[in-house]
Amino acid sequence: MLGYTLKRVVIAILTMLLVAVITFFLMNAVPGSPFLNEKSTPQQIANANAKYGLDKPKIVQLKNYLFGYFKGDMGVSLKMQKDTAVSKIIFGQGKFTLSIRVGVWSLILAVVVGIPLGCLAAYNRGKWVDSFLRVFTTFGVAVPGFVVAALLLIIFGVQLKWLPVLSQSLSTPSAYVMPVIALAFYPSCYIAKLTRASMLDAINQDYIRTAREKGLKTGKIIFKHALRNSLIPVVTYLGPLTAGTITGGFVVETTFGIPGLGKYFISSILARDYPIIMGTTIVLAALIIIMNLVVDVVYKVIDPRISLMKAED
Amino acid sequence: MDINKKNFNLFQLNTELVPKLDEMSDSDFEPASKDEKKSMVEMRRSVSYWADAHRRFRANKVSMVALYVFIFMLLFTFVGPSLIPYNYSDQYRDELKLGPFQYSEQEQRVRSLLKDNDAVYATTLIPGSLTSISAGDYYITYKRVTYAFHIDSTLADSVIILNTAAQDPLTVVTDKALKAGKSDAKALASTSAPAEGAVKLKAITYVFPHVFGTDSVGRDLMARCMYGGRVSLIVGIIAALIVLIIGATYGAVAGLAGGVTDFIMMRIVDIIYSVPDVLIVLLLQVILKDPLQKWFDTFSSTNAFVRTLSDLGVGIVSIFITFALLYWVGMSRIIRGQVLQLKQQEYVTAANALGVPNRRIIKRHLLPNCVGQLVITTCLQIPSAIFLESFLSFLGLGVSAPMASLGSLCSDALDTITIYPYRLLFPAVILTILVLSLNLIGDGLRDALDPRLKK
Repeated sequence: MLGYTLKRVVIAILTMLLVAVITFFLMNAVPGSPFLNEKSTPQQIANANAKYGLDKPKIVQLKNYLFGYFKGDMGVSLKMQKDTAVSKIIFGQGKFTLSIRVGVWSLILAVVVGIPLGCLAAYNRGKWVDSFLRVFTTFGVAVPGFVVAALLLIIFGVQLKWLPVLSQSLSTPSAYVMPVIALAFYPSCYIAKLTRASMLDAINQDYIRTAREKGLKTGKIIFKHALRNSLIPVVTYLGPLTAGTITGGFVVETTFGIPGLGKYFISSILARDYPIIMGTTIVLAALIIIMNLVVDVVYKVIDPRISLMKAED
Repeated sequence: MDINKKNFNLFQLNTELVPKLDEMSDSDFEPASKDEKKSMVEMRRSVSYWADAHRRFRANKVSMVALYVFIFMLLFTFVGPSLIPYNYSDQYRDELKLGPFQYSEQEQRVRSLLKDNDAVYATTLIPGSLTSISAGDYYITYKRVTYAFHIDSTLADSVIILNTAAQDPLTVVTDKALKAGKSDAKALASTSAPAEGAVKLKAITYVFPHVFGTDSVGRDLMARCMYGGRVSLIVGIIAALIVLIIGATYGAVAGLAGGVTDFIMMRIVDIIYSVPDVLIVLLLQVILKDPLQKWFDTFSSTNAFVRTLSDLGVGIVSIFITFALLYWVGMSRIIRGQVLQLKQQEYVTAANALGVPNRRIIKRHLLPNCVGQLVITTCLQIPSAIFLESFLSFLGLGVSAPMASLGSLCSDALDTITIYPYRLLFPAVILTILVLSLNLIGDGLRDALDPRLKK
């Protein structure tokens, strides 16, 4: 167990380093200086390079940059908010919290909606509920997130006027409804599909038959015996789900005009503000990698079969 | 199943056929003739892997419907643009912001003219257009007869040249005269030989509607959806092929090599697998833009391959690069797992003993036996690539204007979503149908090709 956790931590750190090095070299691969524009003289560029430490050898720059990140120094913005520290832009202006709040709510919604739907479908296998849910979830995983967001916007924002069209800074609880639903739509359909498949797998197992023969109540069989075992694939999906929520957040924030980190990231990409792009990429990558690490370790804890199988190898 | 049962019955003694002991004659003890032997041996006709898979896929109704829908989408996106008279980049200035099947004022005028006449002629191909004609030589071919004529001075107003059954040869009618209700049509001189450099006028016999309407700059939305769908499909298929080639090779090499090589190769895969792909895609989109553009500009005039790439645009090529860098790991894991099983087989040992080089073992023995997995994974890779491309285009990073993709069409529609919701609906529905049908075909292929699911 400890060995496995250590191995995963080492891989996570290596991945993080790889991401940092990739982003560094990608940024440096861009031809021309970031300070280059029509007005700048060679002297000005040299001064600016010296100011931001860009005149040193690449390997020293990489070292400074990596150590900087360890100390929480991500450099300063070049264009979007000139000379403001990137760490302040990301964490200090409420962008990060806004995005995290929407993301966490939609994660919760996806799990809370997806798992019961999957159970419902599996339990009513072959009946109309199952057929309906199967068609619905199959469609659900084929509809892109921005379409869901836009449809919600048309129906509830524009036609019915139930919810505010522009969510802005998410000041009221009703402003959360559409972004969270739009973000949770795909994952809840996916989780429902996963849960249904693994529930059906579990229901056909011998121990369920035994539980039935013993005369246990249906509810107890489902929740105590079937569900616990069928949740393992859902847990493994939580890692990719986090990544999906972050990238989905870009779309949802753009669509609903939420001034979160995702929207800011996209505009910094369009404006080519490299330090911001790099800083955001690394923060989000760290989030995803840590989540993957946690999921892998939890997965190992809740499913003892896996360690048994590994021991046999 | 029932064939097997028949075979099984052969081994049981059919008591009715066995003669009773006292009824036996000498002839019963003669050796069986060839025909008799043949009737006793009942062989099951061997069914090849593909025939079996084909039969099972055909039996899967959902996947068959998905396949037909997908074929329809292929026709829609690849043949469709040549069937409609509109182009994805042409802007029809008189036809801005039309709804589905709505005709512009001018088109309505032409339609009402067409009601009374055989055909309307204009200088351009755009259906339903009325053109002002400048001075010069013109000719028209109508019903296999060529009419040539000369116009002295510019007819400043809109001019329609029309032909009716009664008025032959052709007549020039100015739009002003028509609107005033005058019938002072001027007869044209007709000769059979057009003057040198004469402009050919195009006949309009039917005003083709804008089925999906037009956008804010007067581009036909259906044509754009067709081209957009084509771009999405091309991106999906090429990206899936890239993943197939890299992933299958990498996985097969790792699996066959085994030992330390396998360990190192798979740890690399582990690390790449946990790199957040979309973030790197976004990053690459930014980074690659300038260098790729420069590369395109220098080589596209000399190299046909580069020219094709530059037609697709920087955004799409960087999607390909990302797939080549990051997305092959899933495929390589699956293929490695398969190869680990397959390499224990006797035929691989035999090939090894005969001194067949590893390259050839992979090419001739290992990969052909993974073909089911290869087909399934590749097929399911296409919709995920389409998703990624539409995601990037939606954020404004994929295709560049005037090229359209389904994602960029959705993103364009978002600005005017409150007034023209159908502009989002059409590309979104097409995108959904594409992804859905590909997902269902992939599921059907999995059921058909995976021998472990055999009943």
